[in-house]
Parts: sequence; structure tokens; C-alpha cells
Amino acid sequence: MRVNYVLSGVTSGLRRNISMSVAIVLTTAISLALLGSGLILIHKVDKMKTAFYFRVEVSIYLTDRVTQAQRDDLRQRLEQDPLVKSVTYESKAEAYKRFREQFKDSPDLVNNTSPTALPESFRVKLKDPSKYALAAEKYKAANGVYDVIDQRKILGPLFSIIGGIQLMAVAIAVVVLIAAVLLIGNTIQVAAFNRRREIEIMKLVGASNWYVQLPFVLEALVAGATGAALAVAMLVGGKVAFADGKLSRLFTLANVPKISYGDIFWPVAPQLLLIAAALSAVTAWVTLRFYVRL
Amino acid sequence: MIRLDNVTKLYAKSSRPALDDVTVFVEKGEFVFFIGSSGSGKSTFIRMLLKEEPPTRGRIVVAGRDFSKLSRWKVPQLRRSIGCVFQDFKLLPNKTVAENVGYALEVIGKPQHTIVKVVPEVLDLVGLDGKANRMPHELSGGEQQRVALARAFVNRPLVLLADEPTGNLDPDTSIEIMRLLDRINRTGTTVVMATHDATIVNSMRRRVVELDNGRIVRDQARGVYG
Repeated sequence: MRVNYVLSGVTSGLRRNISMSVAIVLTTAISLALLGSGLILIHKVDKMKTAFYFRVEVSIYLTDRVTQAQRDDLRQRLEQDPLVKSVTYESKAEAYKRFREQFKDSPDLVNNTSPTALPESFRVKLKDPSKYALAAEKYKAANGVYDVIDQRKILGPLFSIIGGIQLMAVAIAVVVLIAAVLLIGNTIQVAAFNRRREIEIMKLVGASNWYVQLPFVLEALVAGATGAALAVAMLVGGKVAFADGKLSRLFTLANVPKISYGDIFWPVAPQLLLIAAALSAVTAWVTLRFYVRL
Repeated sequence: MIRLDNVTKLYAKSSRPALDDVTVFVEKGEFVFFIGSSGSGKSTFIRMLLKEEPPTRGRIVVAGRDFSKLSRWKVPQLRRSIGCVFQDFKLLPNKTVAENVGYALEVIGKPQHTIVKVVPEVLDLVGLDGKANRMPHELSGGEQQRVALARAFVNRPLVLLADEPTGNLDPDTSIEIMRLLDRINRTGTTVVMATHDATIVNSMRRRVVELDNGRIVRDQARGVYG
């Protein structure tokens, strides 16, 4: 009986207010999709950062005319350096092989690069990566050294671009989310007005507060959850159309790992659903409690 | 059953109080008329008894519940012990007579088998047996008020509040409604009726409390309209 009443309230509320319900679902979906892409980026960048920083290396590139003696001397100095954790040597051939592997999706780039163009180098892991400047200073002037590069410096701009996109997505998401919240509030007020006779009677005869409010809260919840589901669909669509399609080259060039379905469905999708559910239910309740004064 | 101690109600936009230092006590099973012209405070009085609005000052106790100590979520419990009818009946136009009456039980969580059993009984009591499946617009004003009374009484409340219940009815119909209220009163239900219908008050000879500008100016057992 109760379930029946509640469900009929929800469905009739949504049907009676079809244009508003669609507006809620769409705004919620758009804002959550933006928020979702922001979240995916955050998770992605976090993963990337840990991965990169874990194997972050200082590369000491050697000049083309380096002699074997200089090479041996440098290796010995590095191996005895208290700052250094480990040293590996990468020859020109190895560097080229790694380059080809890394850019196998961009054959033009690979074909236009001669196998000898890439310098040989020592890859140095520091005990404390933040001591980079000290290490760089030490070896920059050594014989046979062309340049010392900290990989974190290369990644820095990339991370800041991603950070900017993230921030923008989240900022737009918040603005649209505010619109969604206002729409939900408004719809609840209209729905409550449509059912004002029933509400008046229910209150007069002593129906409990949750009994009066539940259909409205559930109505908002259903609309919000539908919006979240649509947002996840938008993210999947976005992944297929952009991340896997037109923009996939960019991902490869920037050396960013591809976005997988896993990135969307866990933990972002449940997070979006939770946000939508909590936000719509709370908005509905607050509207009923303080504006409609049920 | 109903007790008001020095109750004053001020509305924000009005300088004159709607109720001014009202003290009144209504015994269980009593039948009381609250009379007075429009704006004398009758409707405010009824609304306060339903705890729709808090008093500005003073204490209200209805059915053993002190309003100042009654939290928001316990108000529904209070209202279950109070039945209510109004001048405009307040029936749901898209529900049948039986559904309108059953609605009051349904929304407080009474099981269907109770509703099916109790609703015909109360419709019989108010003289509407055989009209259970009519829609409100198919009924006369008097019949609609009977439905409203049936709905107010179906949960056997301790108190029945009636705000101008005969205000929209012709004199003959009004008397029928009064007979019904009298019958409900005889079951032990306390009846409080706000009205400005002199004929009815005079014909019933019950306790009369007269309000004027929010003050009690007369409280008379077996009184007349004055």
C-alpha cells in the first residue's frame, strides 16, 4: 500500500512535469559529465605522477665525441656519489630502440629520425629526487657531458596543462551543477504546488513527515540518478569519439596512457552517482522543509 | 482536553494581536461554540489548536500534549487525535467518497483490511451509505460536508474541530450537519466549532465562547448568540 502510494507519486510527479524533469536530467548529466572528466583526469594524473616519479631519472646526455675514458670516469664518479641510488647506461642504439617503441604509433616521426640522432646517456636515479639541482651542478661541467636533464622538468608543463583542463572542467561542472540544483528545487516546488490539496489533507490527518516528503525526494533522486547514468554514457561516448578517435595521437605524443573503460566505471561512475543522489535528495528535502514548509 | 493559558498571537505584519491573552479550558466530551465576527480570532484559534502556528506567548495543551514541548516530528501524532472540517470541505476532487474517507487512514499507514472495514461504517454513521462510489462533484454541499465529517471522524479522534462547517450550506442542510456533529459529540468526542451562524448557536444551547478583537468577551454555558 505504502510502496504503491510512494511509487505512484514518483511516476505521476515525473510525468506531470515532463519538461522540467528532462531539464533536470540534462543539466545534471552535463555537469556530472564535466565533473567526471575532471575526476578521470585527476585519477589519471595521480597514477601517472606516481608511476613517473617512481622511475624518475636524471638523464646525463653525453656529447657525440665523448671518449671511452671520459665515459668510464663519469660512471665511476656516479657510482661513488652518495646522492646516487643507481646508474644505467643507454647507448645510442638503445636510445633509438626505446624511441621507436615509444612512438610506434607515429611512423612519420620514427622514419624521420636517424638511428644516430639520439645521444647516449647515463640514467641516474637519485636517492632523494629533490636533490636534482645538486646533481645537475656536479656533472654539467664534466668532460664529455652535453646536458643534464631532470625528467620531472619535461613532465612539469604537461602536468600543468592537464591541471588547467581539470580545473576548467571542474569549474564549469560546478556552475552547471548549481543550475541543476536550482532546477531541482524549482521542480519540487511546482510538484508540491500541483499536489497541494493532497499535501494539505495529509498534514491535517497526521501523515508523518517522511510519508509526505518521500515521493518528492524520490522523484528528485530518480531524476538525479538518471542524469548520472546519462553522464556516464556521455563519458563513454567522449572516450570513443575523442580519446580513442580524433585525439588519440595527442595522447601518444604526450606519452599519456589511454583512458580505459575501467577509468570511467571505477571509481568515477559510482562517485558521480553518489554525488547526483546526495545532491538531488538533499536539495529536494531542503526545498520541502524550508521553502514549501511541509 | 483543550487548555489555553494566556495565549497571545501576534502576526508580523499586524499591530493588533489576532489572539490577545486568551485563557480557556474545554473539558473532555464538551461541545463548545466559538463565536464572533470575521477577524475576531476564531480561525486563528482553530489553527493554533492544530499546531499549524506557534503562539507568540502562552501555553497550549491539547489531548494531553503541551505544544511547547512537542517536537516537529511529533506533530503528526497530535493531529491523528484531532479531526477537522472546514467551510470549503477540502475533498479531493479526483477521488470517490470512499476513497476520500479512506485516504485519511491510508496516509497514516493503516492496513487496507482496516480501511475496507471502517470506511463503510463511518459512511453509514454520516448517512452516506450507498454513495460510497460517487465523486465529490456529484454530491450536494451538505453531502460533501458529510464526507468531510466522515473523514475527520474515521480515525475516532479525541477532538473534532469545525471551522464554519455550515458557512456554505443552506439553513436546513446546516441543521442536518449540526445533528451529525451532536451525534459525534455523544460518542464522547470533544467538539469545538467556530461559527457566526446565530440561528444554529441559538438552537443548540451549548457552551458559547465569544471572541472580539482576539479577546474572550463572554464564556457562557448553554448560551445563545447574543
